Amino acid sequence: MATTMDPNNLPFLSEASVSVEIETEDMTLNIGPQHPSTHGVLRLVAKVNGEKIYNVEPVLGYMHRGYEKLAEVRTYPQVTTLVNRIDWVSGFANEIPFIAGAEKLMEIEVPERAQYIRLILTEMARISSHFVFNGAFPLEIGALTPLFLAMEDRERVLDLLESVTGGRFHPNFNRIGGVKPAAGAGPTTKKDIQDLPAGFYHDTKIAMEKVLEAVERFENLIGGNEVFKARTKNVGILTKEVAEEFGVSGPILRASGVPFDLRKYSDYLPYDNFDFDIPIGQNGDCYDRWYVRTAEMRESAKIILQAIDSMPSGPIQSKVPKVIKVPKGQTYVRAENPKGEMGYYIISEGGLGPYRLKIRTASFSNISILPVMLEGALLPDLIAIMGSLDFVLGDVDR
Amino acid sequence: MKILKLNGERKTLSQSEINEFFNSIKLKFTKTTFEFDTVKINVQPKNWVEAHEILKNEFKLNFFNWLSAVDWDNEVAVGDPPKEQVTPMFEIMSCLSQTDSNNLVIISTNISKEIPDIESLTPVYRGADWHEREAYEMFGINFLNHPNLKKLYLPDGYEGNPLLKSFELISREVKPWPGDVDVEAMPEDKVATEEEK
Repeated sequence: MATTMDPNNLPFLSEASVSVEIETEDMTLNIGPQHPSTHGVLRLVAKVNGEKIYNVEPVLGYMHRGYEKLAEVRTYPQVTTLVNRIDWVSGFANEIPFIAGAEKLMEIEVPERAQYIRLILTEMARISSHFVFNGAFPLEIGALTPLFLAMEDRERVLDLLESVTGGRFHPNFNRIGGVKPAAGAGPTTKKDIQDLPAGFYHDTKIAMEKVLEAVERFENLIGGNEVFKARTKNVGILTKEVAEEFGVSGPILRASGVPFDLRKYSDYLPYDNFDFDIPIGQNGDCYDRWYVRTAEMRESAKIILQAIDSMPSGPIQSKVPKVIKVPKGQTYVRAENPKGEMGYYIISEGGLGPYRLKIRTASFSNISILPVMLEGALLPDLIAIMGSLDFVLGDVDR
Repeated sequence: MKILKLNGERKTLSQSEINEFFNSIKLKFTKTTFEFDTVKINVQPKNWVEAHEILKNEFKLNFFNWLSAVDWDNEVAVGDPPKEQVTPMFEIMSCLSQTDSNNLVIISTNISKEIPDIESLTPVYRGADWHEREAYEMFGINFLNHPNLKKLYLPDGYEGNPLLKSFELISREVKPWPGDVDVEAMPEDKVATEEEK
């Protein structure tokens, strides 16, 4: 007969204790370059003791394509093709600061309608980038479902981008002085002639309603998940002082409580015509970084709906010389991209192409804090911290 | 959700505020220009770190944006040379800004190509670390007192500094650029060819 044991009165268990300290050896752990959570090919050399990380060294350059050199042998219109591929998740947004910089040096006024089209498509690129984040980040810390939902939702936005530009990821749609006539555009009504495809306004309204629904779904599905909260709250806290010193920008900076968004501070696109808010986090942890991006999608959808309603009519291209020649000068133009501040320092010596083009990308500065953030972190948190930074290796290595 | 604080107001600087910021910098640094909405300061190499300390502490430019360099040369292997003669030198540039306004400053200094040495900015801004490593491998500039000055992107055995104007783009040597046919000759070039005829 089996004896039943009273769990409250076990004979030896209460006296048992571990008095031996486990001595662990330091270990060097190589992560990447082909790890799925690295969004490309990032390699981390981590020195760990047990589960604790005490030193991390990122190894870059697996995707270095030398864009700053390639830009020197191209003309200004050819460079936009190149910059599409820097951050390929939001290719359209990469063109804006470069084109705006060239226009500033040439002193060209861009027609209002072209600026509105740029603004709408930039915000669509932002939504599509944040959809990818909302799928990839939970996936990396163990939730598979949001990825499929996010990819399906993103497709609606990409369809709209494709209907206008002809490309889903690399539109190459901006021209100096305006935008190119849209793919598949035809005379539809009196209002939109030869620039936006038929039914664009109607389709956009429907798609944005779906985006707003999707944001609410993600807030409940991801943000309300106890496992997700346990993995992200109070993990990877970044203070605003460290963030500023390392040039960390975008949603990561705002999650640390800094209300800095270039859409409110700069005038590279007519954002002052619209009513929208800037979401700001409090703790600067992984959860806040997720929340800021998700809340930004709602604001972007609000901007697009307002822009559709107040779309001005008129030309989409101002008069520019047939051969684009930028006069001598230097300027720095920056824009708020989905991943943070992106800027181009253009040095023109009056030639067909830039003499030197410095490309400032968001992800490069954003992941330069990895050694600081990961020092003293636990190994399982490494993936959560890396995922919350939302970087793309094309944006890091250029 | 209560972690959110929404900020709907707009914060673009007015023209007088922009001018005020430029004039306050101009008082401190005499060689300051304001062209195409970009404030640019030129300092002596020996004042390079000191200038950044002043801008960080007095002007509250605590956001380190980027650092890079320009190779000024009249003879270039690829691309177009400068139209006017320039003094061959390295121009090192860094960009600082603020996170409560749109103020932004470019600081530049010129160093000779024979002795490409400059003090590192890492004691002032830790974020300068990777940017200086990139400039080191791309231009061969030595950042003195840098904690970890080694290549960032390029593999260990790589020879040469790719962003130097004397560095050839091998792919262009192997295969001519097909885009060349699209570019029409410039008006003055046409005049020149007609005169030759």
